[in-house]
Amino acid sequence: MGKRRWRDVLRMRVRSLFRRNQADRALEKELRFHLDQAIEEQVARGLSTDEARRAALKAMGGIMQIQEECRDMRRTNFIENLKQDVRYAARILAKTPGFTVVMVLTLALSIGATSAIVSVVNGVLLRPLPYRDPNRLVRIFTSSQGYPKFPINPNDFRDFRARLHSFESFAAYVHNDLQLAGTGQAVRLSGFQVTAGFFHVLGWKPAMGREFDRNDEAPGRGAIAIVSDRIWRTRLGARRDAIGQKIVLNAVPYTIVGVMPARFEHPGNMYHAVAYGDPVDVWTPFTSFGNPNDRGGHFLDGIARLRPGVTAAQAQGEMNAAMQQLAREHPDGDTGWNVLVIPLKKEIVGRSERLLMVLLGAVALVLLLACVNAANLLLARATARQREIAVRAAVGAARPRLIQQMLTESILLAMAGAMLGAVLAVAGVKALLALLPTDFPRAGDIHVDTPVFVFTLLIALATGIFFGIVPALRGSRADLREALHEGGRNATSSRSTLRLRNGLVISEVTLACVLLIGAGLMLRSFVNLLRTDPGFRPEQVVTASISLPEASYKDNKAIAGFYERLLPEIRNMPGLSATGVSSDLPWTGWDDNAGGFQIQGEVPLPHESFDARYHMATPGYFRAVGIPIIRGRPFDEHDSAANRPVLIINEAMAKYWRHGDALGGKLTFNDHPKEKDWLTIVGIVGDVKDTPNNAGAKPAFWWPMLQEPFPLAANSSIAIRSPLQPKLVADRLRAAVRGLDPSLAVSGVRTLEQVAAGAYSTARFAFALIGLFAILALSLAVIGTYGVIAYSVSQRIQEFGVRMALGARSWDVMRSVLANGMKLTLAGIACGIVLGLALSRLPGTLLYGVSTADPVAIGGTCLVAILFAALACYVPAMRATRADPMRALRAE
Amino acid sequence: MSRPSDLIQGTLDLLILKTISLEPKHGWAIAKRIQQVSDDALQVTQGALYPALHRLEQQGWISAEWRKTETGREAKFYQLTKAGAAQLEKELAQWERLSSGIALVIRMV
Repeated sequence: MGKRRWRDVLRMRVRSLFRRNQADRALEKELRFHLDQAIEEQVARGLSTDEARRAALKAMGGIMQIQEECRDMRRTNFIENLKQDVRYAARILAKTPGFTVVMVLTLALSIGATSAIVSVVNGVLLRPLPYRDPNRLVRIFTSSQGYPKFPINPNDFRDFRARLHSFESFAAYVHNDLQLAGTGQAVRLSGFQVTAGFFHVLGWKPAMGREFDRNDEAPGRGAIAIVSDRIWRTRLGARRDAIGQKIVLNAVPYTIVGVMPARFEHPGNMYHAVAYGDPVDVWTPFTSFGNPNDRGGHFLDGIARLRPGVTAAQAQGEMNAAMQQLAREHPDGDTGWNVLVIPLKKEIVGRSERLLMVLLGAVALVLLLACVNAANLLLARATARQREIAVRAAVGAARPRLIQQMLTESILLAMAGAMLGAVLAVAGVKALLALLPTDFPRAGDIHVDTPVFVFTLLIALATGIFFGIVPALRGSRADLREALHEGGRNATSSRSTLRLRNGLVISEVTLACVLLIGAGLMLRSFVNLLRTDPGFRPEQVVTASISLPEASYKDNKAIAGFYERLLPEIRNMPGLSATGVSSDLPWTGWDDNAGGFQIQGEVPLPHESFDARYHMATPGYFRAVGIPIIRGRPFDEHDSAANRPVLIINEAMAKYWRHGDALGGKLTFNDHPKEKDWLTIVGIVGDVKDTPNNAGAKPAFWWPMLQEPFPLAANSSIAIRSPLQPKLVADRLRAAVRGLDPSLAVSGVRTLEQVAAGAYSTARFAFALIGLFAILALSLAVIGTYGVIAYSVSQRIQEFGVRMALGARSWDVMRSVLANGMKLTLAGIACGIVLGLALSRLPGTLLYGVSTADPVAIGGTCLVAILFAALACYVPAMRATRADPMRALRAE
Repeated sequence: MSRPSDLIQGTLDLLILKTISLEPKHGWAIAKRIQQVSDDALQVTQGALYPALHRLEQQGWISAEWRKTETGREAKFYQLTKAGAAQLEKELAQWERLSSGIALVIRMV
């Protein structure tokens, strides 16, 4: 059938449907014309007009019949029926507004919740990453005994790039923030040093200019940079001739060679991490390869594009072979390292996958529960409507028509629920985004969009049929004689319906209990995490980052000089209790020193090496962030370059001293130390958890600012402990910094509490959502229980009346109703606990410090379920006690 | 007189399509034409004609248009669409096959 014909056909159908009256009028006119022609013909044969008319009419047959047949030919009857059914259903539903509102609301809440979670899953897990062929992109890490996932060494990277065949392209990058000076206030730009072809690996080209090539990797070829679209627009006036312009970064003029398009996204990195999708504004070429034989330093993040058809596992195999070859060539630096090849998408969203799957499962349970509940309520109604349906059947409605009619009702309810649910989903996603854990990936990709709306609609249709089909099949089977019989109660049918409804209530309670147990476990984890000691006191501390460009602050002396002038200014703040500077703050990044030191009088255990994270701190730092000094002393102003070198270590590191006392102990970073190369431990501080969600702490040490060997101090964080408003503190800090050097930017201002929230934000998110779903599930189960108990009471109201008449006390009647409800509830709870235990392994790492068979969570669930079931039974039970004995006797 | 139910299924459609294949006609003219051409052997009643016309129109094989007749009255004229012309070809071929088949059987047996 041609396209055109389909269009014609469609147009005809639509016309016949919506212009039904017009079509009918046209048909009448057509038939009248025919009749007139017939009359004319008869008159021409000599009949009188009257006779001619009579003859013509007789020949024509029943006009009504022809019209009906023509209408049938227009095939609109199905749609007509549907229209009728929808109208009828709407009228019926409007007649019982209570029922309709409860149905639509419960469906809307569950469909809305489902759509909201599906929006998140769609945005985070399903939507492809914004790179060309994103499934071929992989991240490259190294790993060793002590460091399961670690950056790569620049010279190893160069060898890999030259030797490997699994990759179409391979690049590396390292976080390197730069300070942009110029007109207005100085800002710190999030920046990366990248090797040649970094953007090419991701499948992007600069919108203008070029990206870096191998020539740019050679040091000393002049300062060049690629900038983001944002910088191009806000700082370069969106000029078409921006290429070749100069911008001043870290007090050095850089020539712009490229501008990236607005939609380019940072792929995320591990070392001094910037998350996927966070803004990155400037890229400069990576040139710090250093001595080609230097294989010790690992700080590059690797990214590569697999050749078509090559898997990540194959690439990893090839890389490990190459790594072994490198270990033969450079035994001291490259021995003991392996390579990890991880698909980029897994690296970005992998850790949120379990959380999302658990949420999706939970919301699916809620939706299922809503369907069961809706079926339950519809069954109750079908019983109440038995007579209406019997009458319709008696006047000739066929069973399929009755089923179609009843399904129309349930689908109508589901659609109304879906529409309201879509609105709720939009609001829900907004709320979700506000509540997301701090480290949640791809938050920017979460939207309620067309696929989600289509999904919502399909879900609604499916739910409508799913919960409507059983009641429709049962309801349409009404036995005419029984139902129409005066006062007739169809005992057998209502008993089997009751049995079915009891089953539905038990499954409702079961599902609700599963979610309650889940919510209980999440709550326990959340509380456990809240109670865990992070190792520092985050209250009332404002933190910020300051970097001092090398061009104006040549060495640590200059840097220390700056802070010697800055810190007194800050100490003048009223109420301030402590302030200090460190290379980093808890949980915001660190540097590792692997096997790089010796301890006087100690040797590492056979399978160990002396590893530690290293930091730099000024005297006030530990007090400012609230890390307790367990023994010894904090740094003081005497710990300068001129005096003996000292260190402060944490308790985990103190464990390396198995023979002597760590305090006063000595260590060195020099392979052939002289007397002056030994550093003395002057203080031991408490452990800070390495990561928010992990109780463990790795060994760590701090240098005093004036003694640290690297330019750690150039990029420092400042911590200010003060009871003042955080904003006030930040303003004073900015003013103080600007007063000393207007070209400096104060960036990353946040309170230490915001940092600390990372510890429990995932648990809080999981608990909030699962808890919300559990409340929803509990309400549905209460509605379901109430519905069934109320129905069974109404069925037995005469029996109760008789019992009361025979002298039963109210309590007896009440007890019998409550017992009925409790029987169902307890059965549901038992099933719920079994199912809950079976499913409780799924949350896995989402749980913290709580067993999956947690007695508190399970006990609490039982208690809540029984309490609410009693509540649901109470009202019908009261009604049963008010059964009127007289009326009961009269009715019998 | 042949009632449509006596006709082989689909034959009325074929007759209608064939009748309007030369020029657009209204319902009355179609019935008359079939009657005349068949020497009064085939009389199409209104009860069969109009539902058939409406079905063909719904299927997109014919299209209709209100026009003035020679006597100046408004009548609904039906004409073949492109798809209808193709359908006519198909049905004609089928009819030829069927009728020659029947003829063969009648003669042989």
